[in-house]
Amino acid sequence: MTDATRVPLLSMRGISKRFGAVEALAGVDLEVHRHEVVALVGDNGAGKSTLAKMVAGVLSPDTGLVEIDGVPVSIPSPAAARALGVATVFQDLALCDNLDVTSNLFLGRELRDAHGMLDDERMEEEARQILRDLTSRIPSVRVPLSALSKGQRQSVAIARTLIGDPRIVVLDEPTASLSVAQTAEILVHIEGLRDLGLAVVLISHNMIDVRAVADRIEVLRHGRNNGSFDARTTAYEQIIGAITGAVRADTPRSSAHAVS
Amino acid sequence: MSTTTDVNLPAPNPPGAPRVSLGQRLQGLGGNARQYGIFGALVVIVLLFQVLTDGKLLLPNNVAALFQQNAYVMILAIGMVMVIVAGHIDLSVGSVVAFVGGVVAMTMRDFDLPWVVAILIGLALGALVGAWQGFWVAYVGIPAFIVTLAGMLVFRGLALVVVGETIAGLPAAFIRISKGSLPNFLGFLDNMDVVTLLIGGLAVAAIALTQVRARRALRKHDLHVEAVGLFFTKIAMVALGIGVLTVILSLSAGGTPIVLVIVGVLVVAYSFLMGRTVFGRHIYAIGGNRAAAALSGVNTRKVDFWIFVNIGLLAGVAAIVTTARAGAAIAAAGNNFELDAIAACFIGGAAVTGGIGRISGAIVGALIMGVLNMGLSILSVDPSWQMAIKGMVLLLAVAFDLLNKRRAGTQ
Repeated sequence: MTDATRVPLLSMRGISKRFGAVEALAGVDLEVHRHEVVALVGDNGAGKSTLAKMVAGVLSPDTGLVEIDGVPVSIPSPAAARALGVATVFQDLALCDNLDVTSNLFLGRELRDAHGMLDDERMEEEARQILRDLTSRIPSVRVPLSALSKGQRQSVAIARTLIGDPRIVVLDEPTASLSVAQTAEILVHIEGLRDLGLAVVLISHNMIDVRAVADRIEVLRHGRNNGSFDARTTAYEQIIGAITGAVRADTPRSSAHAVS
Repeated sequence: MSTTTDVNLPAPNPPGAPRVSLGQRLQGLGGNARQYGIFGALVVIVLLFQVLTDGKLLLPNNVAALFQQNAYVMILAIGMVMVIVAGHIDLSVGSVVAFVGGVVAMTMRDFDLPWVVAILIGLALGALVGAWQGFWVAYVGIPAFIVTLAGMLVFRGLALVVVGETIAGLPAAFIRISKGSLPNFLGFLDNMDVVTLLIGGLAVAAIALTQVRARRALRKHDLHVEAVGLFFTKIAMVALGIGVLTVILSLSAGGTPIVLVIVGVLVVAYSFLMGRTVFGRHIYAIGGNRAAAALSGVNTRKVDFWIFVNIGLLAGVAAIVTTARAGAAIAAAGNNFELDAIAACFIGGAAVTGGIGRISGAIVGALIMGVLNMGLSILSVDPSWQMAIKGMVLLLAVAFDLLNKRRAGTQ
């Protein structure tokens, strides 16, 4: 499905990040093409979320190059990420409990009418449309988030990725707290994103989910790339081996960055 | 409450066929349901004191005085509720009122500037004070409690510097802001001030019109609207309330107090700001989940900064009203004003944790405190007991609110 000759939509090269003495990422590479779901897997603390936060504009890499559609970019803020067409769903449910579903969907990119005022009606209409497309079970788009179950809230979080025509979607543990049926819905949605031509980065602990939906699996271990696998053909044990370190990736590229 | 209805059912809901259960709709009202409760509490308290005072509470001149005496609380509560919704607090407004009031009085008496210029200087100074505190809160990241606690001391000190001794002898036109009423240029109708009646009528018409237009907009987008009966009952209740108030005020000695017009304009403008603008939406978002708002691209620092500029500006307005009412600037002016404003917000349903609260609620909260004050004074209750009673009302109002929320939370 991936075409190596094409320019990847998202390309990260030699990304490093330190938090004080802790080296979270050391020379990590990641490429995602259009129509592709790349799963980013690894043990706790492998640096998955750190990498996701860089794409989302929450963190800046210490070193390394980020390119979107072949153009070098810096992503200094979440708003900048949005402007570049990156939508992110964070692990810790970045939603406002006091706001209703519509306000949450459009938070930070509210629609305005001709006078520059909030266009609540149009937003509500679009919100209903999007949730209908997602076939999510939300009682009403006017209820505050605090009135929804965890699964419903996750649906809202996912639905946010459909607003504002993003090109790249980053999902950080989107199914972590969901029931089997809800998980299935989310996975169908991820496939829908791929069919729309988006580049999807899926961070997950759940190998079943990953193998069900991803095209390629990138393993991170201790802040370094530890193997890239074809999701269709690679054996489960092989991926687990890369995650736990039983299998070593034969790419020595990260060592140069490690001591920097 | 836990039944779920698919949103992917036929979208245009046929009128009269509700898609959402009553329980959900009440849930959706959320803040609204509490708002109605607070309005109800105000009505009960007014009726209670009306009976206890043998009808003296609602005498026309007392009602006019109620607004003149409590205008400062309402003005400050508007700014305070925005600060509280964003998850902050402002302890400095009382001192800022004294400081700005002193400067305003000084510019009129010592520099002989026209009162209009003095007012503009006062507003600008208030906003400047707000910008100062907003800078420390938003861009340095010091908790607002600390910044405004410091501000409380700093500006009380500066007020003492400016107002060494009472600055009296202010222009009559300036004093009229608080003590005067709109001129009666349309005569009387059965002893009722026609200007007041006109304003009341226009207010009702404007409210009805905006409600109908909002409803029509929802209809246009095939969105759910409340039942026709409920809709018209709501408008009728509002019209009745404003109507009664209008008639009472039109019978008062002066008609419509000028401060009531000021407060009215501010309430409308700020309700609009909080409800229909991106800035207002972001204030609620920050109060609900600051991190989520930031991740969603909300510029939380900028919002924080402007919230404090705004309450500084409103403290300037309150300073002008307070100084005009006293007819002089004194260094002790505005003592405990911050507590009045904060109490009004919490009685009015604002959440201590932020994210919840409305302008209308804060105004009703201020009115509840004002009615208590006036009722207890008419009953000549000892001021020390008045204070104790008001304290208990604050405590019980918030306790009631909390218990309600807890009950709603355990579905």
